[in-house]
Amino acid sequence: MLRLLSVKRAVAVLAGLSLAAGGGMAVAAAVGGGAPADKAAALARHVSVATTDSNTEQVAPPEWKPEPIPARMLSPGVPVPIAPSVLQVRNGWLVSDGRTLVAVYAGAVGDDPSSAGRLVIVRQDLVDGRQTVHTLDAGPTGALAITAAPLGSSVETSAQTGSILLRTDEGRTLRLDLAAGTVGSG
Amino acid sequence: MRLVVATVALIAGLALSPAVALAAPSPVTAWYVYGSSPSGLASYAYARGCDFAKSEPGSGLRLLLVDFGAARKLSSSTWGAIDFSNTTFSNSDILAALKRAADGYHNCHVRGSVDILYGNSNYHMSDSGMSNTDAWYAGYHQSDRSQDLFDYQTSKGYDSQTSDAASDMEPSWDGPLITKQLVNGDAGQGWALYYDFGSADGCPQSGSSDGPCNNGWHASDVGYVSFHGLAMSLPEIYYSALANQWTVVRKLWNGDGDYYFAGVTASTGVGLTPTGAWNALNSLNSGLVDSEIACFGC
Repeated sequence: MLRLLSVKRAVAVLAGLSLAAGGGMAVAAAVGGGAPADKAAALARHVSVATTDSNTEQVAPPEWKPEPIPARMLSPGVPVPIAPSVLQVRNGWLVSDGRTLVAVYAGAVGDDPSSAGRLVIVRQDLVDGRQTVHTLDAGPTGALAITAAPLGSSVETSAQTGSILLRTDEGRTLRLDLAAGTVGSG
Repeated sequence: MRLVVATVALIAGLALSPAVALAAPSPVTAWYVYGSSPSGLASYAYARGCDFAKSEPGSGLRLLLVDFGAARKLSSSTWGAIDFSNTTFSNSDILAALKRAADGYHNCHVRGSVDILYGNSNYHMSDSGMSNTDAWYAGYHQSDRSQDLFDYQTSKGYDSQTSDAASDMEPSWDGPLITKQLVNGDAGQGWALYYDFGSADGCPQSGSSDGPCNNGWHASDVGYVSFHGLAMSLPEIYYSALANQWTVVRKLWNGDGDYYFAGVTASTGVGLTPTGAWNALNSLNSGLVDSEIACFGC
């Protein structure tokens, strides 16, 4: 018991200090006089993390070579990174030339799946280290599904700024222009 | 030694910052994994660790969340994940990648410190054939690999780093019983904090009863996966309604300790900006939201 109390006290004191340095943990100390018992040891570990490394040597980075992903459809069984509160997914599409990547997810607005079509586009720049997530709403179309998109290894770069055809719930065709980032009549 | 160094650094920080107040922090980038091979995954992770270090704001401990996709049992004795490109990676592959992320952070370190998180999700675990026991082991091994990563960080002298685990646990993606096993397995192994960066899909936005959520969940189930054992709450706050739901979850909590939030998970392209997301949750839970925004798309 004494040991546990000591840990909790250390967490509380150091966590309060860590707030000033911009770190987390402050709330853990403030709530109920200390961190929950189960988490106390792990949270104490956090406050022992330094801001410099004792090892000042550089480590050899892994060899980097582009690993393209041929353009492909993503079936509903493939994990989706987009939360259901944002998008009720029908299907998706993915391509990467190893330097930049585009994933398109089609479906309906999370809290209004019966009426509003939505697309979510994830882009990664693997060289410059950027990731963006864009949402495109198509209006009262019902859920959208991708029906035609470039496929294969010959379009790994070109398809990232190409077009994708979509079908609405009512059978209407729409076109996603990836270069412009717009969706309109097909 | 680490404790002494950290204490000195923190006291110095306090001296330089007379006005201490919780406010929305600058967001840090969280990453989705679209891999194609273990070697490519390692290169990807190295680059993300370096990117994170170069752009890390402030001098605090920040979360580098790498989302490897859905937790999966790959064979009778192998666990891992299936990523967003439909590529499976064993936990050995993932650990190797996380070590490269640690290397990348070290090589490019400018300021502050990092908690590198092995992230996965509860996406369709049951549909993939996983049992509740399999999910328990998925959580157990996730924590175990996080500890392996910490051992690596320590052995390499990466004193500005630590490691934990995380999971995007969404009620809509699988049932409450199997999802709870991820948390229980992590707690059973006993080492890694388990950040829930999922949602409270369909849960009540007001009231104090244990109301229903999507897919057979109740608000108390969301409380369990986000705060039981070593679980920590890092909820998706994409719209104001989600802040309302998580506030209900927090108020319902009656387990060990007083419920608080480790920060928020945010995104671009949604209703709330990352800062708006943090402010929305904090306005309903004043003083109970730590200074962290893990942002997909920032």
